[in-house]
Amino acid sequence: MKIIRHSIAALMLLLLIPTAQASGPSYALQVDGLACPFCAYGIEKKLSSIEGVDDTQVNIKTGEVIVIMAEGAPLAEDLARKKVKDAGFTLRAFSRRSK
Amino acid sequence: MNPDCGRLTLHGVSTLVALMTGSVVIGTGSAWSAPITFNTALPVAKNEFLVREQFIINRSSDDPISLNRDRTAKAAVSVLGYGVNGKLALFGVLPYRDNELKLTVAGQRIKRSASGFGDLTVFGRYTVVQRDQPGRNFRIAPFAGIKAPTGDDDKRDATGVLPPSVQVGSGSWDPLLGVVSTYQTLDYQIDGQISYQINNEANNFEAGDVARLDGSLQYRLWPRTLGGGVPAFFYGVIEANLIYQQKNQVNSQSNPDSGGTRLFLTPGIQYVTRRWIAETAIQVPVVQNLNGDALENDYIARVSVRFNF
Repeated sequence: MKIIRHSIAALMLLLLIPTAQASGPSYALQVDGLACPFCAYGIEKKLSSIEGVDDTQVNIKTGEVIVIMAEGAPLAEDLARKKVKDAGFTLRAFSRRSK
Repeated sequence: MNPDCGRLTLHGVSTLVALMTGSVVIGTGSAWSAPITFNTALPVAKNEFLVREQFIINRSSDDPISLNRDRTAKAAVSVLGYGVNGKLALFGVLPYRDNELKLTVAGQRIKRSASGFGDLTVFGRYTVVQRDQPGRNFRIAPFAGIKAPTGDDDKRDATGVLPPSVQVGSGSWDPLLGVVSTYQTLDYQIDGQISYQINNEANNFEAGDVARLDGSLQYRLWPRTLGGGVPAFFYGVIEANLIYQQKNQVNSQSNPDSGGTRLFLTPGIQYVTRRWIAETAIQVPVVQNLNGDALENDYIARVSVRFNF
């Protein structure tokens, strides 16, 4: 029984390792004009259309949008600015987050 | 046609036009929550679509004359918005109408009704001022469009051709223009619009032009304090709609029992999520300074949903 439990734990660890390794760089975008949930969807959709974007997380209170890229896929500031503008808002600040 | 019915037609048309104008100007939007009684403030991002489906009941029954007119206009109004770019958005508004008019003629109660797709309105909105700041934004956007005579304007019943107040279409091409402004923060949103619709002649009938001044305040009631992420917002809404309509023309003659000024106060609620919005409001007439025996409104009730695609 103990062996089975250890085997399951080891298998789960193995499954987690590749997932963690697949996560690439992440960026913090400060977006001006975000003021309601309906706005948030538009900006999520625009940023998600960028090739290599794994996930976007909006904090409507702070106006911060975290963009998580796939491994080896950097996000260009000009492209992020364009996508934010296409969503109808203004990019105030752009920075790469340290892991 | 019975002269009373003809007169009734003229009385009722102002209500119909007000409703039609309302649904037209009520059908636009963009990335913010937007008012319930007008569409020009709807936000749409570039290359994105927005759909609003609105159900409206417009009741008018307090007839000052012996015809005892009782009019119920129901409409399901579909609004489609498309963002051409960050500044320009295009909108189409198509109502499905179900109009019914009851009245007493020669001691008998009669009912006249019609249903079907009404007139399609298309308009474009161009944002000329955009100021974005952390947690707030401000927009000014003129808009212009036209109402096309896509709805039937010659429906008949056993009595003959239905009056304009019962027809689902107007038969005329009617241009409209205006300007809309929005100021939105995380706590509240204020929208205002001013618009003018020029109504043209069709079938020897010309509804009076309509000028509108609309305002909307949406205040976040819940959540009271914001945390992280994107929670749904529950807004309390109060809107005001000042509508002035010129007298109608029949065979180039002004109808003294048509047109006038209406002021509605409109309480409502709105539930706003990332993908959809549900909202309801009731327009209560607080001032109805109408000409002659024009039929007054009892109320206009609205329920609508909106989707981001």
